[in-house]
Amino acid sequence: MKELNIVLAGVGGQGILLASQILGVSAVKEGFNVRVSEIHGMAQRGGAVVSHVRIGEKVYGPTVLEGNADVILGFEPLETLRNIKYASEKTLIIISKETIVPTGFSPEPVLYPNFDEIIEKIKIFTEKLLVVDALELARRAGSAITRNIVLLGALAANGILPMKNETLKDAIKELVRPAYLEMNLRAFELGYEAVKK
Amino acid sequence: MARLKDLLLEDSPGKRVLMLGNEAIARGVFENGIGVVTTYPGTPASEIGDSVSLAAKDAGVYMEYSTNEKVAVEVAAGAATSGVRALVAMKHVGVNVAADALMTLAYVGVRAAFIVVTADDPNCYSSQNEQDNRYYALLANLPMLEPSSPQEAKDMIGYAVEISESLELPCIIRTTTRISHTRGPVTLGKILKPNLKGKFTRDTKRFVMVPANARIQHKVLLEKMTKTAEISEESPFNFVIREGKSGIGIISSSAAYNYVLEATDMLGLDVSILKLGMTHPLPKNKIMEFMRQHNKIVIVEELEPYLELQIRALAKDSLNIQIHGRADYPELFPKYGEFSTRTVIEALGKILGKSPPIDFKEIDRKYAEASSILLPRPPILCPGCPHRASFYVIKKATGGKAVYTTDIGCYALGIQPPLQIGDILICMGASVGVASGISKAIEEDVIAVIGDSTFFHAALPGLVNAVYNNHNFVLIVLDNLTTAMTGHQPHPGTGVTGTGSPGRRVLIEDVARGCGVEYVRVVDPFDVEEAVQVLKEAIQHEGIAVLVFRSPCALLVTAEKRRKAEPIIPAEILSEKCTGCMACIRLIGCPALVPSNDKVVINDALCVGCMLCSQVCPYNAIVKAKGEDQP
Repeated sequence: MKELNIVLAGVGGQGILLASQILGVSAVKEGFNVRVSEIHGMAQRGGAVVSHVRIGEKVYGPTVLEGNADVILGFEPLETLRNIKYASEKTLIIISKETIVPTGFSPEPVLYPNFDEIIEKIKIFTEKLLVVDALELARRAGSAITRNIVLLGALAANGILPMKNETLKDAIKELVRPAYLEMNLRAFELGYEAVKK
Repeated sequence: MARLKDLLLEDSPGKRVLMLGNEAIARGVFENGIGVVTTYPGTPASEIGDSVSLAAKDAGVYMEYSTNEKVAVEVAAGAATSGVRALVAMKHVGVNVAADALMTLAYVGVRAAFIVVTADDPNCYSSQNEQDNRYYALLANLPMLEPSSPQEAKDMIGYAVEISESLELPCIIRTTTRISHTRGPVTLGKILKPNLKGKFTRDTKRFVMVPANARIQHKVLLEKMTKTAEISEESPFNFVIREGKSGIGIISSSAAYNYVLEATDMLGLDVSILKLGMTHPLPKNKIMEFMRQHNKIVIVEELEPYLELQIRALAKDSLNIQIHGRADYPELFPKYGEFSTRTVIEALGKILGKSPPIDFKEIDRKYAEASSILLPRPPILCPGCPHRASFYVIKKATGGKAVYTTDIGCYALGIQPPLQIGDILICMGASVGVASGISKAIEEDVIAVIGDSTFFHAALPGLVNAVYNNHNFVLIVLDNLTTAMTGHQPHPGTGVTGTGSPGRRVLIEDVARGCGVEYVRVVDPFDVEEAVQVLKEAIQHEGIAVLVFRSPCALLVTAEKRRKAEPIIPAEILSEKCTGCMACIRLIGCPALVPSNDKVVINDALCVGCMLCSQVCPYNAIVKAKGEDQP
């Protein structure tokens, strides 16, 4: 494997940091060099959140170069579009259908752009698109809070990750509360199966 | 969390694990026998203290969240002058608060290692400014190290201990957001148990900085710095990598160094790189030697031209080579914001005449087209946040006509529409002092808002000043019973210490009364009617009135419910009653209120059921949802 660059994009509170950490921990478990960039603090409060996971021997900086992402794991359609500059025509976009209407910039009610319109804009960069109903699958697994793990399952199912599924699950075991483990493992399987089908 | 505690304490040298830069610094504490750790939380430094806090009891380390950075430095200095190794961590602006102690601590020095970690925030991800704290090392005459990766961050703790003890001087470690908040592989070293049994040996001439002693100690400090310069020349953290044959040399440090490595790879440049990890004092001979071996030098650093000014001064008299950097290419190396690999690729490409392998212009063109439908998504107050209720109350009671001074914390987000409470924000505690001045200058009512942790951090002198000098405004303390923005650390008002032991709870209302405030009331901002009434009364009060708006942070409330497996029941909008007037959205702007087909619906993945919206709906269309939602 030369290098793998993943951009995780969404809204604060969707579990992006945990998903990135699971990727990072599992990569180190398999002996890879890795960098994970995170944004904490004020930037995290319900705002646009992006995290980068980079795996590879010659990875030094924490952030992905524009046009150089292999995958964008989009937790939210608008946020996927916001980070589309990291994509090229080779980039796979995995996009969750869950929409969160942005607020805090207008005193008036805000209308969310049409989903198909967002997809059209994403296609300016790449046609490789995979839409996942992560929120619905997460609820089926037990709670909306497992949406991040559903998306990791969907990512794993694409066979791009150099890590084994077992290693990813080991990392999940290490990083989630024991009480939520079963629910999260179920979420992983549901995300995985949704893509495999 | 159990995982992190294990990683921090595990005595398995050679094991390779993934760690956040800040966690690696905390691991460095436990590997180097540091006995006292103090901090005031602040992004991007918070996880240093938080990580130490998790494992401190087990490791026999004393850890505290001090009330502010100055106190934190003083507590740690007391330990280090008594022979116990100490580390104090803070965000860049925290050093401004601590600077008074730090400047003179440099004169007296320490007897055991003393490390100050400052985490700078280029691009202001979570800060009110992006000052470059490397200048503090110059100003204070203290040695400084700058890591580029989590591994280096940990390794430099050991090195800083060594330097600090050999010179008996505090040592600064300066990170940036991209170091503190990057995860990378870290190879663990051996755990070293701290020695907490110190001894304070009296040495008045050294430790009591009356003028006569200070004059002498200043000279002692300068002599120590001469020795430090020799250490810097030999430092393993100042090294040359990739000895290229093109005659071009690049000098860099910190996060920028990583971008240089990747950019030179991408551009296929055959250059040498001098990586500086000990950046005060600079290894002048090593830099001169590097420059002599090359005919063109490029200096790559974020924020201020800290290296560049010194390096240009070095070369000025004796070298005839081309030096490039911010001075001649300010547009390529901006003094503001942060760099990325792209910044460095474009800069080196232009300066050294290489075209980038990626067509960035084309990416920008496509992005401009793709992003035309994007909406901004600034950080916002969370669903259920008590500050939203507080700001609604303040707006309702004052009609939006007062002048509102605000402060550092989540509640700074109150400036956003539709609430828009916050007219001036400077630094920790400034809401109080600035309100005093504004109230002297204008006729209108003045309302100051400040958070609970911020109140203890820096509001007390301002409050005493306001009472003493007969100022006239209302101070509202938004008490959510935690330090929310930085990750829910305890503070004096919580009655819990940094390591989870019971401490003595200091109540904000008692402090206010003790400061001589005559009008003090505690209210729950979710009781909108009552809170509006109290605020109107407080405004009428002649002199300083302090209101404590007390309601726990929504994130803590939901986390607690999840832990207890209690249901989180969201609100529901009865569509037959909702007229689509949008009053709820226009009045409180909660992200869980979503316009849909000319009415409003609740996003039940976001709503936590605080029911503030039900109090503002003119048609009583909002109720608690029936049935139980998932945890």
